[in-house]
Amino acid sequence: MPEPGAAADAVFAALADPTRRDVVELIGAAGEASASALARELPVSRQAIGKHLGALAAAGLVADRREGREVLYRLTPAPMHEAMGWMASVGGPWDRRLGALQRHLARPHTAV
Amino acid sequence: MPETESSDAHVPASPERTWEALTDGEALGEWLADGPGELDPTPGGELRLTVDERERTGFVEEADPARRLVFWWSETEQESSRVELELEPDGDGTRVRVTETRPLERLTVEGIELATPRGRGDGGGAAPRMLALA
Repeated sequence: MPEPGAAADAVFAALADPTRRDVVELIGAAGEASASALARELPVSRQAIGKHLGALAAAGLVADRREGREVLYRLTPAPMHEAMGWMASVGGPWDRRLGALQRHLARPHTAV
Repeated sequence: MPETESSDAHVPASPERTWEALTDGEALGEWLADGPGELDPTPGGELRLTVDERERTGFVEEADPARRLVFWWSETEQESSRVELELEPDGDGTRVRVTETRPLERLTVEGIELATPRGRGDGGGAAPRMLALA
């Protein structure tokens, strides 16, 4: 069974929150967005948006750049790919087949 | 758009013994097929296995003993998919990585010209040079 890894742990934790998922969708649709712009679109405070962006950044899902006095956030979705890879594979036929291969090779045998 | 499924596992056997399990007809029946099948581990070699009660036939694209096995397979009249198995020494055993890619078109092989796997360093390996889309 493929291990999702620590990066995927952070991704799952970050995306567990529905507001953070909304933030990810809004930034994705806009390309780039400031925390203020996000706070205008969502029923949460500007401070809450700031905390959510922090959690997303810690999971490697957003990056930011400064433009004038604004900080603009964009998605950096690469860490999601590891998590998606795990979700796509787990429970699939190859997980089962490799499990059977492990058991077959674990049985006593004559040395090759 | 092709779909891909990947998996990997550590097995408690050497790459050589693992290769045996990947390519021996009887052994395949212990983990991949419902029962003993056929697989000719040379480029262009045929394979015939019953998997989940359905017969699958196909051919081997690449066979680099104890390292890499690539084959295509399909159920009768169904789309083909490509299976890539890679073996790597991993501590006291082997890490097996598999990727299966499902193209939409059904592929048949006509007049394959295949190179045999060459030594490491040139990315060696075979690829079918002529494939016809059915």
